[in-house]
Amino acid sequence: MSNQDFALLAHLMRRAGFGATRDELEAYAAQGYTATVDELLNPGDPEVMPDDIIRRYHVDQSELRQLDGAGANWLYRMITTKCPLEEKIALFWHGLFATGYSKLNQARALLNQIDMFRNHGLGRFDNLLVELSKDPAMLLWLDNTDNHNGAINENYGRELLELFSMGIGNYTEDDIKECSRAFTGWTLGNAEYMAVRASKDSIWPYSRIAWHFQFRDWDHDDGEKTFLGETGNFNGEDIIGIIARQQATARFVCTRLFQFFAADEVDGDSKQVIEAMMQSYFDSGYEIRAVLRTLFLSDYFTSEEARYARVKGPVELLVGAIRQAGSYRSPTLGVHQLAYQGFFMGQGLLQPPSVEGWHEGMEWIDSGSLVERVNFVAQELSSLDKPGVRAIIDRLAGENGGTLTPGQLVDQCLDLLGPVAVEDDTRTALVDFAAAGGGALNLSGHQPGDDAEQRVSNVLRVIASTREYQLA
Amino acid sequence: MSTQGVMQGVTMAYLKTIGIVNNGDNGRGFANPHDVVVSRDGRIFVLNRCDPARATAIRIGICNLDEEYLGEFGNGFGEGDGQFGLPVAMALDSQERLYVTDEHLHRISIFDTSGTFLGKWGTMGSGDGQMDGPAGIAIDADDNVYVADQNNHRIQKFTKDGQYVSQWGEKGAGNGQFNMPWGLCAADGHVYVADWRNDRIQKFTGDGAFVTSFGSSGDGDGQFSRPSGVAVDADGNIYVADWGNERVQVLGPDGSFQQLLRGQATLSKWAEEFFAVNPDEKETREMSDLTPPLPPHLETPYLISSQIEPYFWGPASVTVDADNRLYVAETNRHRLQIYQRK
Repeated sequence: MSNQDFALLAHLMRRAGFGATRDELEAYAAQGYTATVDELLNPGDPEVMPDDIIRRYHVDQSELRQLDGAGANWLYRMITTKCPLEEKIALFWHGLFATGYSKLNQARALLNQIDMFRNHGLGRFDNLLVELSKDPAMLLWLDNTDNHNGAINENYGRELLELFSMGIGNYTEDDIKECSRAFTGWTLGNAEYMAVRASKDSIWPYSRIAWHFQFRDWDHDDGEKTFLGETGNFNGEDIIGIIARQQATARFVCTRLFQFFAADEVDGDSKQVIEAMMQSYFDSGYEIRAVLRTLFLSDYFTSEEARYARVKGPVELLVGAIRQAGSYRSPTLGVHQLAYQGFFMGQGLLQPPSVEGWHEGMEWIDSGSLVERVNFVAQELSSLDKPGVRAIIDRLAGENGGTLTPGQLVDQCLDLLGPVAVEDDTRTALVDFAAAGGGALNLSGHQPGDDAEQRVSNVLRVIASTREYQLA
Repeated sequence: MSTQGVMQGVTMAYLKTIGIVNNGDNGRGFANPHDVVVSRDGRIFVLNRCDPARATAIRIGICNLDEEYLGEFGNGFGEGDGQFGLPVAMALDSQERLYVTDEHLHRISIFDTSGTFLGKWGTMGSGDGQMDGPAGIAIDADDNVYVADQNNHRIQKFTKDGQYVSQWGEKGAGNGQFNMPWGLCAADGHVYVADWRNDRIQKFTGDGAFVTSFGSSGDGDGQFSRPSGVAVDADGNIYVADWGNERVQVLGPDGSFQQLLRGQATLSKWAEEFFAVNPDEKETREMSDLTPPLPPHLETPYLISSQIEPYFWGPASVTVDADNRLYVAETNRHRLQIYQRK
């Protein structure tokens, strides 16, 4: 397996997952790129940290009364899953169908929504939209609980068209009204009581009561509607069926998938890939899995052009560093702090800033968030007691009898952390830094925490601060 | 799954609910109650496990059956004397000294029933007398102290002052082996172990000789999913907190299935007082169906309990008092459901 093959697989895993350790890359390399893509797109047993083990240790993650425990609960899954695309696609839909704790005060419902994204996120887009429209968190988030026969609330109908499927300019205000009529009666069980509790953030008397979908036939407008030029006694499923077959929908969904998985910016070359993804969307009957397969196997995605074309989102960065360091593999006291860490970097799980989700790309980076990003990764990757860091040291010790020049030390560390390809001036600065710690590094006979290991730790820490490590 | 209330010999009847969620501040109410002991004078001691993010709420609260809140002790999260990391379970010795296990600090703390800290023992490890995640605790009539040494997959026996006596068990699924044991009960010269990840209850002599085992994995009568607590009444009837199935099972002395409890909480006195001053919630609650039918994807025991408030949710422990009352501590609902044996 060549270094180029490793680099391509590392690129795939940064996008379709949260990066990969060298051991994982070697396993993927043994089966090849296409087989790896197919494995990612067809998740089996994720072998995540068992739920019973988590709930026994973390009572806050069992009860889910608060946001921090819920965020940590999802992070555990991202950190330990063997099917990373299942979590990555859930993260994508969470950003696109952004639903937040601040209005709901109901973490269980939000995690149930994330679970729905796991179960339906790679399947048919029309099915996903139906599930989304029945999702209790979404129903309350966008006020469909106030959408009644004869007194519509347009909030969900409007966002379904504007933010979730077609994009502005592809429908009229009348379409919004007719769409909203079709979703009257779609609400949650005991909606009135649950809405009062949500508005007051009430946990009394006996903590949260989770939510479920309820269709109120008596509150549903079953009359004739005209939507996007079609007329009938449409219900919500019918409306979604019409939405799913629009060109605008295919373009919207494929563009957003491209920006999340391939490149922040859509330029001339990438438009061809999006066209191919749209064709897969229709050919497959709106299957997201097929659309992503087209993307991951495209010449564009596998080319050098697509490498490092995205800024890592905070959760990608955080989870990637933890997976590389091998920490949080079992229940860990204080794991809720990880949820806060995402907030500090600008991406609080289950708490997007608005229904528009997060502004991604370069907007992830400001002076405050960059410091948080660098400090967190540096701390993870330089901790000599972390299993992943120890594995890196063991591999380095096995190279060339454990003796490495500063240049070799930097190149090996970059290789084992990715491979991460850095600009020449970045490499020069890293080598200068490594050389300042002494001449050649000798890891033969190294002991945990000794000076030789500390030099490796320092190099790993500085790599974490490079521009390239912050990119996906 | 069986229907609630199928009965043969022993009959438990719902009596009342005590509790209300305490939102992280000290005072009346519970914060993830994990275990209960009842003193001879009828005071109910409730271990509030909570979590380190809400550090001050980790404590032991005291109330009585009339729902009077009598006070609390324990100094929140920390490693100092009288503080807790992740407390799991409690037991009283013959002098009514209260022993509390702590799976984070790997130690046992001892208090008197007025809350005065009396001592502690334990260090992390796998040697004799060391512990890795001590969970359940039980004290027999001779004041021998038994501790479920969770991550060492064994039971350790100590004197009441923490001197190591003996141990038994190792990781495995055979007789006398364990997988992350949790709740313990010492009764009638025997020790009962909620063998959590083996989905069974094991019974031993006080010296650790295997006697018998009840249950297997599943949700049928007499089957268990991650049992967390076990209690035995004066007639030998066995009560099991069937944690993963979100229910409690009552077994006869021979382990035969007797009754299934799924929970039927009503408003506690404290809850009624809350609704008296929050009429908007009271009004909309009264027009609600609190035991609604649920869609299939939400029909695991855990998700059902997250939706249906009267049901047990996180029944971590069971305790029987001298008057044959059964106390079920529900971690996720911040309350005790109490049943009376008929």
